[in-house]
Amino acid sequence: MIEFWTLAIAAVTALACALSGSFLVLKREALVSEGLAHAVLPGIVIAYALTGDRTSPLLLVGAAATGLVMILLVQAIRRTGVVDSSASLGVVFPALFSVGVLLTSMDLAGEYFHADCIIEGNLALAPLDRLELWGRDLGPRAFWSVSAALLLVIGFVLLLFKELKLLTFDAELAASLGFRPDRVHLAWLAVVSFTIVASFEAAGSILVVALMIAPAAAAVLWVNDVRHVLGLAAVFALASAFAGHHLGLSMDIAPAGPMATSAGALFLASLALAPRGILIKDRARRRGLAQLEVDLVAARLEPGQPRECESIRGELGWSQRRFGAAVARAASGAALVHDAVAGTLHLSAGQAEG
Amino acid sequence: MSVPWVELDPTLVVVAAGTTAVGAVSGALGCFAYLRRQGLVGDVVSHSALLGVVGAFVIAYAVTGSASRSLTILVPGALITGTAALMLARSVSIRTRLNDDASLGVMLSIFFGGGLFLLRWVQRQSPPIAGHTGLEDYIFGMAAAMTRADLWMVLALGGGALTALLLMWKELKVFTFDPDFSRSLGLPSRLLDALMMALLVAGVVIGIQTVGVILMIALLVTPAAAARQWTSRLSTMSLLAAAFGALAGAGGALLSASEAGLPTGPVVVLLATAIFTGSILLAPRRGLIARARARRAMRDLPPSAAGGAS
Repeated sequence: MIEFWTLAIAAVTALACALSGSFLVLKREALVSEGLAHAVLPGIVIAYALTGDRTSPLLLVGAAATGLVMILLVQAIRRTGVVDSSASLGVVFPALFSVGVLLTSMDLAGEYFHADCIIEGNLALAPLDRLELWGRDLGPRAFWSVSAALLLVIGFVLLLFKELKLLTFDAELAASLGFRPDRVHLAWLAVVSFTIVASFEAAGSILVVALMIAPAAAAVLWVNDVRHVLGLAAVFALASAFAGHHLGLSMDIAPAGPMATSAGALFLASLALAPRGILIKDRARRRGLAQLEVDLVAARLEPGQPRECESIRGELGWSQRRFGAAVARAASGAALVHDAVAGTLHLSAGQAEG
Repeated sequence: MSVPWVELDPTLVVVAAGTTAVGAVSGALGCFAYLRRQGLVGDVVSHSALLGVVGAFVIAYAVTGSASRSLTILVPGALITGTAALMLARSVSIRTRLNDDASLGVMLSIFFGGGLFLLRWVQRQSPPIAGHTGLEDYIFGMAAAMTRADLWMVLALGGGALTALLLMWKELKVFTFDPDFSRSLGLPSRLLDALMMALLVAGVVIGIQTVGVILMIALLVTPAAAARQWTSRLSTMSLLAAAFGALAGAGGALLSASEAGLPTGPVVVLLATAIFTGSILLAPRRGLIARARARRAMRDLPPSAAGGAS
């Protein structure tokens, strides 16, 4: 039963992170998740120290507010124009994280949040911490908080899909249509921040970042449509959650590292195999380049008038090898006829008519 | 003859010298990353270094049979994985539709996740490998763990990086501000790019022991961002960033030594952040206070003078 709950928490966390991360990746601001995943730490510690009640939803909301504080600080520093945006993120999130680490080391939230969980969370213990309402055991608390985050993300995406899409791909158009992209963006980042806080306890900062970026980045290599990206990212995230959980269990180590690595492995596999990855695209590009060379040679020929190979090669300024390869390809494709004895080329009959 | 250092704990002297050197070197090297808008690249390098640190530890243990956490073994590992992550990220963002942010984030996840994976695996080995406990400290940094040999390693690597920086100063400067112009001068841009990358990796790797892989980004970006407010000259900016970094490093080591249980890394980062905050507020001309004052002076001008331009 405990294993069922760990898996359930891992799966829901993976889904919530991957769905919210997809829009960050598409909007080309994936590293905002890295910033948020660190900046919420002081919020978690302070919110617990203030409420003292680990079941309080106020805790999650309060901590998520720190994420927004980071976003607003970064925007404020950028707006002054003294520091550019990537550097202002690089200044703000380590500072907030440092405050969080110092507060954690002071043990303000000792029983709720232990320093060991900052990086990789504590998925193994999460099922033991139950949510009890009206004297009834409703299952692990972590499961309910990540489920709330998942519902929030899905609700936001369903309600504001059009706005999110516009904002992601063309914020200026969105503004000119009267959509207030900055407000939608901020609201969306608040949802992302809430997701991160809810996932933090079980997943820790590294897994949150990995699950937000890697599945979406892998999905983008396979498909074009935003809906397809969301769906595929969800599938990849679930697969990494299951694989990582299994790996962690079999090696008896915390599953955060294995899950992050599985998500990374899926990305690397996509890089190799996907139509917009590295290997496949190269093959397509090579084929296109080869065809272009044949066309360039053919363009130097008039129908019915053979020309000497060497003079064509001279005009193109190609090496013997490059020219020979292009001619061989053209001859095998029956586009040109190569008269090896005379050393001439002419267009084949079919080509000339066409 | 009373030398103030003598009264200090010799360990503390080593640690403080180490953090000061780290702060100075990464402050100076960070200026280039900052001006090329590659600050966050340092974050990926430092996170990725964890895999190299743990990997080097494991390999050294497998080869020699004895465990060592000496920086002379761990730093080369960190250099290798840091560079690998950077090159992979760059190749992904050049050759696919993913942008820098996404490809850097993915590489961070893979390398840091892998490093954590390997670290946990090492810790689970039985019989336990002696000395594996200290590896964990690379995540948040443990300045107190610095030995005399480690200090030499930091000084050698940092000194090497700074020497390379000084030797190639003019070329790197042109390349940073105007890559197209530097190409038209016939400067080898690939080589300069590689050198820049190597300097960035070196600047990050020397600090991971003291500040930790997670917070190292701050020592690279924050002093540079602070120094930028005071000057527009690259040489002054680098010197100032080095001074700010050294100040934060030394202050952090001394402060955290004075209070038990105060982790060095976060204290160093918060000192650097305080310097940054002071700089954006107080700097002449660019500072927020100076600008507010200039705006007010503008408003107070008589309308004829203020509207003279139109």
